Order: sequence, then structure tokens, then C-alpha cells
Amino acid sequence: MDGLNASEQREFASRMERKQMKEFMTMYSKMVQRCFDDCVNDFTTKSLINREETCIMRCVDKNLKSSARLNERFQEQNAAMMQSGSMGGN
Amino acid sequence: MSFLFGGAPKMSSAEKIAAAETEVEMISDMFNRLTESCTKKCIPADYREGDLNKGESVCLDRCVSKFFDVNIKVSEKMQGEANANKQGGGMGFM
Repeated sequence: MDGLNASEQREFASRMERKQMKEFMTMYSKMVQRCFDDCVNDFTTKSLINREETCIMRCVDKNLKSSARLNERFQEQNAAMMQSGSMGGN
Repeated sequence: MSFLFGGAPKMSSAEKIAAAETEVEMISDMFNRLTESCTKKCIPADYREGDLNKGESVCLDRCVSKFFDVNIKVSEKMQGEANANKQGGGMGFM
């Protein structure tokens, strides 16, 4: 990632920004789908009932925490792997 | 990915940016796949509480560790296979 000059770096940064936006939208829609699938299975009512709403709040909460934890561990492992160079990354 | 070819000599701006982008792409793709697998394996779909409990946390930590182990094992195995093919003069898949 180094070896880019200033203008290349700017172009790279703007692409990363767009990518982040896209990733966020994907994460959002995956979250909706997961929590909908896991929490909403009863269609005898038209709007969400209490139980479903509680489930959805917990679902979002838990998944955010889980993905934060996975991210932490991932960064650690990735850094360790880069350092040992076992996958050719230098 | 310059490291695959031993630091390619002259690359154009577009090529360098594309290479950097590919590297980020690979890492973020790996993270997304890991998230998908480890969530499925460690987080039960009955949300009894919003927090991660002890068991889920430990499961996630170990899941990441094993995911990396599998990556390394597969890469070593495939590299070994490719080398064996090169030496035998057979047609490798790479």
C-alpha cells in the first residue's frame, strides 16, 4: 500500500471511501435479513408484536457485538500472520 | 500483488492503485466469509440476551483462530501440490 504518491493515494482513499459505504449498506441489509429470518415467523398479526421486537433488538445488539469481537481477533491474527510471513505477505 | 512476482518493476499509476485495491479486497472478503461462518457456528438464533455470553465469546475467538489455521494449512498443501507437479513435469492446476 506504500509506494503510492500523493495523487495516487488520494484516488485510493476515495475508492476506499466508496467501498466502505457499500460495505455498510451490505452489512445493514444482511442484518435486516438475519434478524427478520430469526425473529419474525408469525403472520397472524400485521405489525410486529412485543416478542418479535425484543428479539430484533437483541439480535441487532448481539450481532454488532459479535462482529466487533470478530474484527478485533481478525486484526490480531492478520497482523501475526503478516509478521510471520507464512502466507507470503511481507 | 507485487510480492507474488518479487516486486514487479515499473507499474503505471492505475496498476499500482488496482494492486493496492486488490489487497484490501482480499482481506475484506476473507473477513466477510469468516464473519458469516463464525456467526453461524457460534451464535444461536434464539436471542435470549443482547450481550455475548461467555460461551459465545470464547467460541468466536477460537473460530477466528481456527479459520486462520485452516487458511494456512490449505495454502501450504496447495503450494506443496503445485511444487510436486512442477517437479514431476505434470500439468499443475496453477
